[in-house]
Amino acid sequence: MSDYKKAPDDVKPDHTLDARGLSCPMPLLRTKKEIEKIQSGQILEVLGTDPGSRNDIPGWATRAGHEWIGEKEDDGFFRFYIRKK
Amino acid sequence: MGAFGDKIKENYKAFFQTTWSPMTGGIVIAFLCVFMVAWHRPFGIVGGIRNWADWLFYSIGLFSAWKQPPPHPLYFSSSVIDIGFLAGAWISAVIGKEFAFRVPPVLELIKGFFSGILMGLGAAFAFGCNVGGFYSATQNLAANGLVMFIGLICGVAIGLKYLFWEMEHIPAGPPGPTLLDKKIPPAVGFIAILIMIIAAFAYTNSSKSGADLMAGYLLIGGAIGFVFQRSRFCMVNGFREPFMTGDARMGKAVAISLIIGTLGIAIIKYMGLRPEMLYVTPCFWWGALIGGFIFGMGMVVAGGCGTGSLWRVGEGQVKLIVVATMFALSNSIFRYYFTQTGFLYKLGKPIYLPDYLGYGGSVILITVIMILWYLIIDWNEETNKFVYEI
Repeated sequence: MSDYKKAPDDVKPDHTLDARGLSCPMPLLRTKKEIEKIQSGQILEVLGTDPGSRNDIPGWATRAGHEWIGEKEDDGFFRFYIRKK
Repeated sequence: MGAFGDKIKENYKAFFQTTWSPMTGGIVIAFLCVFMVAWHRPFGIVGGIRNWADWLFYSIGLFSAWKQPPPHPLYFSSSVIDIGFLAGAWISAVIGKEFAFRVPPVLELIKGFFSGILMGLGAAFAFGCNVGGFYSATQNLAANGLVMFIGLICGVAIGLKYLFWEMEHIPAGPPGPTLLDKKIPPAVGFIAILIMIIAAFAYTNSSKSGADLMAGYLLIGGAIGFVFQRSRFCMVNGFREPFMTGDARMGKAVAISLIIGTLGIAIIKYMGLRPEMLYVTPCFWWGALIGGFIFGMGMVVAGGCGTGSLWRVGEGQVKLIVVATMFALSNSIFRYYFTQTGFLYKLGKPIYLPDYLGYGGSVILITVIMILWYLIIDWNEETNKFVYEI
C-alpha cells in the first residue's frame, strides 16, 4: 500500500460508524456489517484509530465493488468514506 | 542537489512512512528467520515473554519446585529476541508516526484478557505460538508445525464465528483515550536504533560467556520486529480473512514466506551447520492439534497472534498489551504445572520430517502444502466459498 487517497473536503456522509478505539479485525468487521444499513449510492463514513484501517478499509471496499472515496485526518483519528455500490 | 535531496525524501517516505506490502514483509521476514538460525537458533516469541512471567512467579514464591531462578533476561536468547522485537516494532511505529497509546472500549479489554489466557494455554500444548509452534517449527522441518497449522485454521474458523455473534448481540461501547498520538518525534526512533547498536557492541565486548550471541538476537530480533510493524504482517489476518472478506493477500504472503524460510533452514540443517532437532518439539500430533485450535480461537478474539500481539504492543495498542500480558502469565503457569505433573511429556512425540522423508521429501511436502493453501485461498478470493455471511 503506498499513498493514502485523500477524500474531498466537501464530502457529505449519509451515515456514520464510530469504530474509534477498536483494533483489528473489529473496524473492518463492523464496517462490513454497517454498510448493509444504507442504500446503494449513499456514503458511509467510518471513524477509526487503528492505523491498519487505512489499508484494510479501502482494500476491502474496492474488492467488494464499492467506491473508495478516500480518508481524512482528524484530531487523533481518521475518517474513511465509502460509497455503497 | 535538489533532485538528490528529493530522492532521499522519497525513499525515506517509502521505507519508513508507508506500509510495506504483505509479500515484501513476508519475504524479508523469511530471510531474517534464516539469518537467526544461521546465527544460532530459530526465531520464536513465547520463550521470552514466559521468561519474564517466570521471574514474576518465581520471585513471589509461586514456583516452589524451582531450586534455581529462571535465566537472566538480558542473557537469555528468547528474552533478548523479544526485547529486540518489541524495540524494532516500537522504532518502526515511532518513525512512521503510528505510535500512540490507544485505549479501546472495555469490552475489547475483557476480550483481550480472556483471549490472552487462551493463547497462553494453546502455546503450552503446542510448545509455541503461531511462530514457535507453526511458522518457525515448519521452517525447521518439524512435523508438529504442520499439525498446528490444521489446528489454527479450525480455531480461527470458530473464533470468527464468535466475533460475528458478538457483533450482533453486544454493542462496542465508547473507546478510551488515545494518548501521545504523533507526539514522539521520529528522531527518537533513530536514537533508539543507535542505542541498540551500542548494546550489541556491549554484548560482543562482554567477557560474560555467551553474551556475544545476544548481539545477534537483539539486532536480528529488532529487524524482524521492525519489518513486522512496517508491513503490518499478521498471521491472524492470513488465516482469518479467507473466512471474513475473502482477501487472500496476507495468507499468500505467509505461505511464500514460510516456503522461503524452509528452504534456507533446510540447507543449514542439511549441511550440519545447526542441530537437526532445533524447534522439533514433543507435541506430534495431538498437542500441536489441540494447541493450534485453542491458540487459533484466542488469536482471532485477541486481534493478534504471538508476533501480531507484540508488534501491536510496540505500536501502543493497549488491548494487545493486555493480551500479551495474559498470554505470558498464563503460559508460564500452564507450562509450570504441565511440567510438574508430567503432562508436558504426554502431548506427543518430536518428529523430524527428514528422518522419515529425507530432506528433499520434507521440503517438497511443506512446499506442496503451502502451495495448496495458497491456491485454495486464492480461489476462495474469487468464489467466496468459505466466506461467512454477515
